Amino acid sequence: MAALWKRTSRMISCAMLRIRRWKGSLRRRSCVDFCYFLILRSARPTGRQTGVSAEMFAMPQGLKGSNRDGIPDDPDGHLEEPRARERALSSQDVMDLTEGDKEASASAPPAAKRRKRDTKGKKDRKPTVDAEEAQRMATLLSAMSEEQLARYEVFRRSAFPKARIAGLMQSITGRSVPENVAIAMAGIAKVFVGEVLEEALEVCEMWGETPPLQPKHLREAVRRLKPKGLFPNFNYRKITF
Amino acid sequence: MADDEEDPTFEEGNEGIGGGAEGGQGKPKRLFSKELRCMMYAFGDNQNPYTESVDILEDLVIKFITEMTHKAMSIGRQGRVQVEDIVFLIRKDPRKFARVKDLLTMNEELKRARKAFDEADYGS
Repeated sequence: MAALWKRTSRMISCAMLRIRRWKGSLRRRSCVDFCYFLILRSARPTGRQTGVSAEMFAMPQGLKGSNRDGIPDDPDGHLEEPRARERALSSQDVMDLTEGDKEASASAPPAAKRRKRDTKGKKDRKPTVDAEEAQRMATLLSAMSEEQLARYEVFRRSAFPKARIAGLMQSITGRSVPENVAIAMAGIAKVFVGEVLEEALEVCEMWGETPPLQPKHLREAVRRLKPKGLFPNFNYRKITF
Repeated sequence: MADDEEDPTFEEGNEGIGGGAEGGQGKPKRLFSKELRCMMYAFGDNQNPYTESVDILEDLVIKFITEMTHKAMSIGRQGRVQVEDIVFLIRKDPRKFARVKDLLTMNEELKRARKAFDEADYGS
């Protein structure tokens, strides 16, 4: 648990640094609303965090991404309840569309009502680690400008398609790769891109030039990151004698 | 097929970051152009990044994935890539490690949620 706390704190402080410098470059995880909604529905029977879904989607209106962390949030503070509720309901609509199931739509109103009730009751809950993080996230989001929000939304939504990554790895290994591996690799690749791009932006700034990044910035960034062990270096074997 | 993917690793010593006349991997089609454009905007670049920059990044990503895959194949169970191998390779890099852990945890939860949801559907 402590490790989780450390990690998330680091992520948030990194995020705040970046926001200051790059007007919106953040580093957070991403998720699909629908899938997250599924998790919340499954959490309901266990009796915990039933009202959480409202907070999950408690984002400023321009944003559709959800506040996803490794563990379902149990937040106390959030931006605006009405908006959050409406967002929870709209995700319910999404779910109905994708399910196209009578049963699902029949269960929709009670689920939505339950969510509304629990949202009110939730304020009394003791803030946990996740609650605090969600609160900080909400504060961070409320402090962002329009442009930053747009960038953040794209950040959360952009990802490498698992299928193509799996295809690429398959052509390298000659056999199929497990789904988990493709998922992990896609995530790592995105982090990798982020690291290169941030370094390149730094280089760009240092050279007194403006954004559309040019190849020379990227190359310089790679050159700088190589000694830091960015690339798993396969060719240079350590010479012990 | 595997040989084509190994070429970039040999070029690394010659500053083979890709792009340029030799074309790095010499890919007939760009695999990740759209996604990379979105990511470049997301991480702080212009909304319309240069195509050459996107190409360079794509070559970088493919090289990265290729090298990771090769390394993963050489450790643990030979000839196979498993999640544990990837996690092992990434252990030194805190950001990537945390990200992989989150993704895998989330994936497990999603699977559980889907299963529970399906059961709930059948049950009710």
